[in-house]
Amino acid sequence: MQNLFAFLRRFRVFIFFLFLQLVCLFIYVQFMNYPRSVYLSSANQISGSFHSFENTLTEQLHLQETNRKLQYENIQLRKRVFSDAYKVQRGQFTIDDTAFLQRYTYTPCVVVNSTLNKRDNYFTVDVGYQQGIKKGMGVITPNGILGVVFKSGKHFSLVKSVLSQDINTDVSIGNKGIHGILKWGGKHAKFGTITGVSNDLVVKKWSKVKTLGASGIFPKGIVIGSVYKIKRVENQALWDITIKYSEDYRSLQVAYIVNALFLKETQALERSIPLEPEL
Amino acid sequence: MNPILTHVFRFIVFSLAQTFILNKLDLGFGAQVFLLPLYLFLLPFETNVLVLMAIAFGLGISVDVLSNTMGLNASSLVFFAFLRPLVFNLFRPRDGYDSLKTPTIKDMGTSWFYAAFVTLLGAYLLWYFTLEFFRLSEILLILRNILSSLLITLVFVTIIQLFFLKRGV
Repeated sequence: MQNLFAFLRRFRVFIFFLFLQLVCLFIYVQFMNYPRSVYLSSANQISGSFHSFENTLTEQLHLQETNRKLQYENIQLRKRVFSDAYKVQRGQFTIDDTAFLQRYTYTPCVVVNSTLNKRDNYFTVDVGYQQGIKKGMGVITPNGILGVVFKSGKHFSLVKSVLSQDINTDVSIGNKGIHGILKWGGKHAKFGTITGVSNDLVVKKWSKVKTLGASGIFPKGIVIGSVYKIKRVENQALWDITIKYSEDYRSLQVAYIVNALFLKETQALERSIPLEPEL
Repeated sequence: MNPILTHVFRFIVFSLAQTFILNKLDLGFGAQVFLLPLYLFLLPFETNVLVLMAIAFGLGISVDVLSNTMGLNASSLVFFAFLRPLVFNLFRPRDGYDSLKTPTIKDMGTSWFYAAFVTLLGAYLLWYFTLEFFRLSEILLILRNILSSLLITLVFVTIIQLFFLKRGV
């Protein structure tokens, strides 16, 4: 018996080592056969939350790789997706009412191409004469107006935008019905100019600029921006007014083509105005 | 800092660094950085080998739980702890170990540190990779892993010795 204790004392280090190794190897072999089976694996709550925390830290590092994969997957999916096909039938928003006759119909469209830094900037939208788009129709955006249809192909149309020199849309400033003509100075896509306002009229800064609707192309009262700067034109009794557009044309994505249903009637009436005074 | 607190702090930092940083590195050639042996190595000279093995077991299990390698780290760390007094005896200075000194490059000199540490780390890696692969047929792969891991770990350990352990942390 004493010999046994002496033996244990002498080899206690090695015996402890063997014991720990046996425990370790037992666990190891157990888990090698049943990986992540029970507790003490990363399914475990604590280490699981550790790893998800770590993932939030490191996922940024893999973003490029992830993006590349997603892009590839998108290409594969896009080949099958319906929206990539050209949509022929566009929904037109119409009202059926006997008391109120509909004056304008709208065709939704997507801006597929645009320029911003030329002197006259044209936007391409994805509707054409197949959808009934004709030259001269107005184009409005969620926050303003875009311009006038300049040319329409079968599936696409070119819109001469308000970022053009001679867009010449008639606008009104404020509530008092001050009329002017919208032009574009060519400097910045955020700012346009209004000419033809007599300088005896009081124009306040930040007053709203709306469409006048006189030409019949645009509905009346669409807010297109606000007065930003007022300057005198030298030697002329006019204001030089700079306005800030409410629409950001640099990030424009969707627009609506306005079909003015009474345009023919008004134009026909206005054509009957005699050029020479009669009698 | 209080030496016990220092070692507790190191325990946490080393095991977290091993699990969440070093195990994620993909260095190629089967190279992995092993930081945990350094922790055991840096414990005071006079630490009882039984205590050492118990600490090694605890450290190994905590890392194993976090990184899904049940028992692998624990077994090799216990082996490392078991060998430590034997290797320290082998490289004993002429007048023994001064209990005021710590087993670092700064206190014990470069040649002593690398001789003792490389011996222990080599044995540790041999145990670790043999257990991990568990096949004699992949002996070449095991040897390659041991060699590459040994080199990269030594680089890391040197950096840690030079820059982090000076302030007693």
